[in-house]
Amino acid sequence: MNGHERKRFATAAVLSCVAVAMLGLSLWSPTLYRLFCQATGFEGTLRTTNVPPPSGTTATEVLVRFDANVNSALPWRFHPLQREVRLRLGEEALIHYTAVNLSDKPITGMATFNVVPEKAAPYFSKLECFCFTEQTLLPGQEVSMPVVFYVDPGLAEDPTTRDVGTITLSYTFYRSENQPTPTASAAPPSSSTAGAGG
Amino acid sequence: MPMRDMIRRLLFSMPMVCAAVVALGIAGAAAQEGNVGEARPWQMGFQDAFSPVMQEIHQFHALLLVIITTIVVLVLALLGFIIVRFNAKRNPVPSKTSHNTLLEVVWTIVPVIVLVVIAIPSLKLLYHSGRTPQADLTLKVTGHQWYWTYNYPDQGDFSFDSIPIPEGDLKPGQPRLLAVDNPVVVPVGATVQVLVNSDDVIHSWAVPSLGLKKDATPGRTNETWFRADVPGVFYGMCSELCGVNHYFMPIEVHALPKAEFDAWVEKAKEQFATNSHSPVRLAANGSQDAAR
Amino acid sequence: MAHGAAVAHGEHEHHPTGWKRWVYSTNHKDIGTMYIVLSMIAALVGGLMSWAIRLELAEPGIQFIHDTHFYNVLVTAHGFIMVFFVVMPAMIGGFGNWFVPLMIGAPDMAFPRMNNISFWLTAAGFILLMLSAVVGEGPGTGWTVYPPLSSIAFHPGPSVDFGILALHVAGAGSILGAINFIVTIFNMRAPGMTMHRMPLFVWSILVTAFLLLLALPVLAGALTMLLTDRNFGTHFYEVAGGGDPLLWQHLFWFFGHPEVYIIILPAFGIISQIVSTFAKKPVFGYLGMAYAMVSIGVVGFVVWAHHMFMTGIGVNARAYFTVATLIIAVPTGIKIFSWLATMWGGSIEFKAPMLYAMGFIWLFVMGGVTGVVLANGGIDTAFHDTYYVVAHFHYVMAIAAIFAMFGAWYYWIGKMTGRQYPEGLARVQFWVFFIGVNVLFFPQHFLGLAGMPRRIPDYPDVYAGWNFVSSIGAAITMAGTLLFYYVVFHTLASGRKAASNPWGEGATTLEWTVPSPAPFHTHEEMPVIAGGGHGHSHGHGMPRPAE
Repeated sequence: MNGHERKRFATAAVLSCVAVAMLGLSLWSPTLYRLFCQATGFEGTLRTTNVPPPSGTTATEVLVRFDANVNSALPWRFHPLQREVRLRLGEEALIHYTAVNLSDKPITGMATFNVVPEKAAPYFSKLECFCFTEQTLLPGQEVSMPVVFYVDPGLAEDPTTRDVGTITLSYTFYRSENQPTPTASAAPPSSSTAGAGG
Repeated sequence: MPMRDMIRRLLFSMPMVCAAVVALGIAGAAAQEGNVGEARPWQMGFQDAFSPVMQEIHQFHALLLVIITTIVVLVLALLGFIIVRFNAKRNPVPSKTSHNTLLEVVWTIVPVIVLVVIAIPSLKLLYHSGRTPQADLTLKVTGHQWYWTYNYPDQGDFSFDSIPIPEGDLKPGQPRLLAVDNPVVVPVGATVQVLVNSDDVIHSWAVPSLGLKKDATPGRTNETWFRADVPGVFYGMCSELCGVNHYFMPIEVHALPKAEFDAWVEKAKEQFATNSHSPVRLAANGSQDAAR
Repeated sequence: MAHGAAVAHGEHEHHPTGWKRWVYSTNHKDIGTMYIVLSMIAALVGGLMSWAIRLELAEPGIQFIHDTHFYNVLVTAHGFIMVFFVVMPAMIGGFGNWFVPLMIGAPDMAFPRMNNISFWLTAAGFILLMLSAVVGEGPGTGWTVYPPLSSIAFHPGPSVDFGILALHVAGAGSILGAINFIVTIFNMRAPGMTMHRMPLFVWSILVTAFLLLLALPVLAGALTMLLTDRNFGTHFYEVAGGGDPLLWQHLFWFFGHPEVYIIILPAFGIISQIVSTFAKKPVFGYLGMAYAMVSIGVVGFVVWAHHMFMTGIGVNARAYFTVATLIIAVPTGIKIFSWLATMWGGSIEFKAPMLYAMGFIWLFVMGGVTGVVLANGGIDTAFHDTYYVVAHFHYVMAIAAIFAMFGAWYYWIGKMTGRQYPEGLARVQFWVFFIGVNVLFFPQHFLGLAGMPRRIPDYPDVYAGWNFVSSIGAAITMAGTLLFYYVVFHTLASGRKAASNPWGEGATTLEWTVPSPAPFHTHEEMPVIAGGGHGHSHGHGMPRPAE
């Protein structure tokens, strides 16, 4: 190999590495995006955490309101059992939504969610929620779905979120693309309280 | 498109447009008793402001208008001077100057200062309109192809659809493409938290005279707020392309004194009782079902 | 076909003849000519669409487009055609191909065959886009193609897929073209033609090529995801499957904002050449001009979400995007003032290209200051999706780019065809067009302030007045455009012979050293660029050949 050829080989090698790296990065990007959103609360993504709330609660209170939507393609009724709770920062709260299948067929739904104002999202931590988990309801079945969350005391310390007095948690239920087959629907959720995931 | 046709068309339509404009002017003057959030014929500026945010937008735009007009006039004056003074006849021998460090520094620094002057009130306005005030009332807005659904979660959770009125059914005083059958009603002076959502494609809920605009995105609730300072009727139009009838998806907001609002709520609760929990629509309108 | 209408050269050199010369062409000048012809055909189609839109909007009420979906298709196609098949082919493919090698003293582009495939991919993209309007019901999504409106549920036919493929193909052509320009400019400059001596047009194409290279793959990725969402059941943008429609908007505008600089940067380069030539002065503040373009390109990548102020992005993000967007006003201000300073003290001849350059400066300032207004996230509540935005981007980007293209055409047509345009007729054409576009777009500021939304075929009656004026402006603009096509015809049919340098002492770049029309092969012997006066020569960007 003369110098010229070596140079060419090096160029090819570098470019191949770049190509492989790009491919790897693109395969890894969904995970990265999720991590990024969870870490920063970008796009109103809630933080899901296993860490219990910090032991001390502060005196500052915040009003958390609950909102529910159902896409028109899904014949369910879905609403929060309580409109709002007022709680201290750092205090853990348990609330319930309820969903009823109004049709005569088993149907699977899936919920998306976000919090507004968006800037408060990084401080809204949920310990238990039904988001992005498929739920199958039998005809007429009603389930109660719990959400356990707390609002981080950091909310009151961050100068950009200090003014936040109300946080709204909003869910929208969609008809899932994976609908139960007749056999699958024979195995409905046994409990009336559906899953805690996401 | 043959040019002659177009010109002829435009010329023929001139008298009609003038007549329409005059008629509208008269109608507008007649309707002046109440506050109407709507543009006027030949309007050159913003619609009148009826909310604190829109008032701030007015003030900020007044500042911006002075700045941008000054810049345009300055550049125009320089261009004019160049045309008069530095044309080939008047100035046959061109200079060879191609540098002036001081000048270059000045025209970099001065725009930066102007931008700082703009940015400070701009961010103030942004944070004011973007803050979360203590709401007296929550209004849920859901966009559909091609109408809006309103829901009052705190007043008994009743909902109703706000369907645009076709041209043939308009009553006198109802503006074309802006009037709806069931306008959304709010109390005067109340801070209203608006939660905007969509059931199908992206829409945008906008009322210019209240300084309101927020995209209605499916699967995501957006928040904005307003306060109508005076009783009146405020119009808006869908502001994100949403399909065939995008142009005909108006918003009509009525602001009433508190007592009248309460009376309206009682009436509406009965009228729209069957709609309760209306986010559920049993008769799905199909487009998504059909596609699957 | 494009090659059929191309310009015949008079010289007798050894080169392929007949259709093979054009279809198989690897010659930068022939390919440039084909790009310009493609752009002129596309401009007629896109222009007709805009006239149909303005005709529909001349009066309140539905005039003649009773199928309002078809109106949306017109709006969509007008945007796509003007951006991807008029401005980009003419500025980058057309004038870029023609004059970058000539200006840096290179015999041709670095990859002549790739140059050929770039062009034919662009042409194929145009045909696919035309097909998208006639298969199925046509894409009525706007050029932004926001899902879910563009999803299979709301656009079930194949038309959106055709549109996506059109952009894929044209995008691939542009990426290849960008690589070609970058390699050519970095490696094929003549001896003495250092980076800091390159004419500003070459700088502008270099920065544009980088923007294309970085922005278009993002669009391609976003489009691929949309395509698989539509056809293969993925859920990148489908909420029901856990996707997010806002992801599209972020990706689209991450491409879309650099795209508007891709359109306007070559125009900056063209205007700098013209102003310097007709003022008979070197460009004022050459280095500042070059690096202003570089910084516009860099900052252009970090401001995309100012198109998304109303989508519910957080208030802190809006504050950042407001400030970042305002910063762009600084380098653009440097450009405006430097052009004025170049003219200052000059001995200016107001020939047609110079008229267009000065018209460009006026339009760009008008559109630029409304851009400063729109940059503010707080006030954008009142402006987003109104006619104010339509007026803004037509002034600052669309019509400004067209002015630069007209200016470039008049400036270089003698070099390209060997025939000079008729000066008197060209000046009339400028004034008709200039008055037309201002009457057309200035009243749209008022409509936007008063709250009239964009992309609507019918509007409340209160907006009738200014809409009517705007449509009159469209008629005048149409007259100016047709007059331009007549000037083209007149020049080719009976234009007088052009000298190798028709502009005199002000025209100092290398393309004026070769005969007119430029021979099939130029710079076969490398020109050597003399340093000129030391310490100050680098600032000119106007090399002189050593011979």
